[in-house]
Amino acid sequence: MYDTLDIISPCGRKMLLEGEMMTTKREIDFHYRRLNEIYDKDCTKIAHKLMCLKDIHTTLSRLENGTVLDDIELFEVKYLAIVSSEVLVLLQEQNIVAVGLPHLEKVVEILDPDGVNIPSFYVYDSYSDELREVRKQIKAIQGNGEELPDDKRQQLAVLLQRNADLELEIREMLSGRLREFAGDLSVALRNLSFLDILIAKAGQMKKLGLCFPVVVEDGETFYNGMFNPAVKDALVAKGKEYMPVDIEFEREPVTIIGANMGGKTVVLKSLALNQLLTQFGFGVAAHDCCVNLVDEVALCIGDDQSIEKGISSFAAEMMAINKVVLKIREGRNMLALVDEPARTTNPVEGTALVEGLLDVLGEIKGGFVLTTHYNILNGNVKRYRVKGLRDNIMDYTLEVTHCGDVPHEAVAIAESLGIDLQWIECTKRNLNN
Amino acid sequence: MPFINEILKYDSLSIVGLEKNVGKTECLNYILSRLPLQHKRVAVTSIGIDGENKDQVTSTKKPEIFLREGMYFSTAEMHYKERRLVSELVEITNERSSLGRILTAKVAVGGKALISGPSSGVSLRRWVAGVQKFGIDLTIIDGAISRLSSASPAISKAMVLSTGAAFSSNINTLVQKTRFVVEMIGLPKLDDVVRDTLCDIESGVWGVDFEDNIIDFKLTSALALSSLKSDITAGMRLIFTVGALTDKLLNLVADSKNVKNVTLVVKDFTKIFVTEQCYRVFCARGGKIKVLQKSKLIAVCVNPTAPNGYVLDSDILCEKLQDALGLPVYDIVKNNYDI
Repeated sequence: MYDTLDIISPCGRKMLLEGEMMTTKREIDFHYRRLNEIYDKDCTKIAHKLMCLKDIHTTLSRLENGTVLDDIELFEVKYLAIVSSEVLVLLQEQNIVAVGLPHLEKVVEILDPDGVNIPSFYVYDSYSDELREVRKQIKAIQGNGEELPDDKRQQLAVLLQRNADLELEIREMLSGRLREFAGDLSVALRNLSFLDILIAKAGQMKKLGLCFPVVVEDGETFYNGMFNPAVKDALVAKGKEYMPVDIEFEREPVTIIGANMGGKTVVLKSLALNQLLTQFGFGVAAHDCCVNLVDEVALCIGDDQSIEKGISSFAAEMMAINKVVLKIREGRNMLALVDEPARTTNPVEGTALVEGLLDVLGEIKGGFVLTTHYNILNGNVKRYRVKGLRDNIMDYTLEVTHCGDVPHEAVAIAESLGIDLQWIECTKRNLNN
Repeated sequence: MPFINEILKYDSLSIVGLEKNVGKTECLNYILSRLPLQHKRVAVTSIGIDGENKDQVTSTKKPEIFLREGMYFSTAEMHYKERRLVSELVEITNERSSLGRILTAKVAVGGKALISGPSSGVSLRRWVAGVQKFGIDLTIIDGAISRLSSASPAISKAMVLSTGAAFSSNINTLVQKTRFVVEMIGLPKLDDVVRDTLCDIESGVWGVDFEDNIIDFKLTSALALSSLKSDITAGMRLIFTVGALTDKLLNLVADSKNVKNVTLVVKDFTKIFVTEQCYRVFCARGGKIKVLQKSKLIAVCVNPTAPNGYVLDSDILCEKLQDALGLPVYDIVKNNYDI
């Protein structure tokens, strides 16, 4: 999802990557209020200005610490002040209050003694009469760069040195005057980066059809029309259609049963993704949704067997799930998503292990969803079932069911995959016996 | 004041030396000091380090680059700080080199500076496009040793070539080697219905048959030729290689019985990496090479002094080169042309 964000400035990208997951309703609501404001406005002009934003936080901390800035750094400061002032005007024009920017006209004034208001900088002649005079003399001696006689060359060297000394004095003076604005400049840089992120997030929401979530603390999570943007993209590229699903859960554990290739794992991955999207303040991949906040998302998926470490797939899986169990028992507020636990062992013990897991975790605040092919008989479990094959077409819709009986569609699906006919026939014969 | 007026007809120029110490910087200074800045905005950059006091490899004295008031130049951050002129910083570009970010500035009081700009072909193209916002009329790129890529017509339309005793200290060899490069620069441009289509192709080796069908030989480059099982020239009138043209491909065509009927096509002369010997055999058998894009070679400058102290006779050298190349040849240092 990060990759589909059109963040324009490097500092925006950096800020995004350094951002931490939000865990309180208050901060998330505040974030979405601001995102909502940007979402409704046309920010093309602002985005265009942000294209030129450079990450100059090192320069700003040097300024704050009293270092004398060089020409390049002063240019950076002036540039930031100009971009920030221009963006401020655009924000005011559109009545956007989501991001506030300090007034930096004074900074521009200090670095633009001739008042031309273009983003360029050097130690201007207007800073000092002596400087102007020295430069005039340099020009007179130097001409077009012809070879100079020794006396002229010496004279030139003296003048160039004087020029450098004067420039340094002026830069010292400028750095001193700018120092009081270091804080404001940092705020401007931070808020412009944040604005860049908001604009990118709003753009992504429109591009991928994402929604604003409702967030709750210790409540119900539900998604209507939930989808997985990556899978959807891949399907659309093949000319196929993605079938969104609905799901809701609270504290009660959820099991999802259903045929192979019925999209159970995609559901788990989408739940994890959307939880993170919400808590990082992105648009969410659903038609509409309500998300219960957690401190951590645990997604146990796939086969982590490691021949090097001497761990079988079963052992790796058990250990991963065990970590989640321990954390939850310690009271961590987690959304636990487990894909087909104990699938690699015999069905008798496997079923018992899953039932045991559901019993030991019981109701948890963050939510607990697992997928399985086993007949789970626990009470106090909410059961979903993938509708499955209908006339050889997979219906990915999730429906609530009250019995734990798993569907028997594996052979039909294997057949539809074009598996060796003889194998299928032998299998069917064995099943009938 | 030779060839300055010729340069002014183009909007981009590259100066390329065939070897280190062939007087390329002298040549650049010559041009920079004579361009009429009152009605031309000029931007200069270099793909290597230029304008240094001493040669980094041979420690011989080198002329520095003198930039005049009003010129734009792009150089790395580190060299910008060492400049001995007054200049107004106008842009910090997104390009980087090992010496820091590449900056663009406008000279306020003329003086000397070290110039080291973007180095890859792609970044040079971006540089040329990037400085246009300052209303530049002429971009000048100083190419580095034996790197002709900056002279690619995709980057600059006109070029000036520097050659000299450093390239070879035997006049005849020098003339012969230079003539070969000039010959490659002067290869004719392909005038064909499929030209535009070929220009859009980005990689591989392709053929065009007599019905104008364009066929992909599924080769990643001319270097993968050994994987070929059949004669690619059969039934083709054009063979187009997007990447380098090497002796291998040239010989393959030269050895085929269709050599007279097929024309080899390359993007431009900077993609040609064939030896003169192979090229002569190829030509003798009736082979032809054409380019999609051609740069205009404006002049050849010579430096008769080699870094080891060996000096060739400037007049004889200029005369011999001029005869062999059919182009004006100048020894800029010796003649000290008027401004």
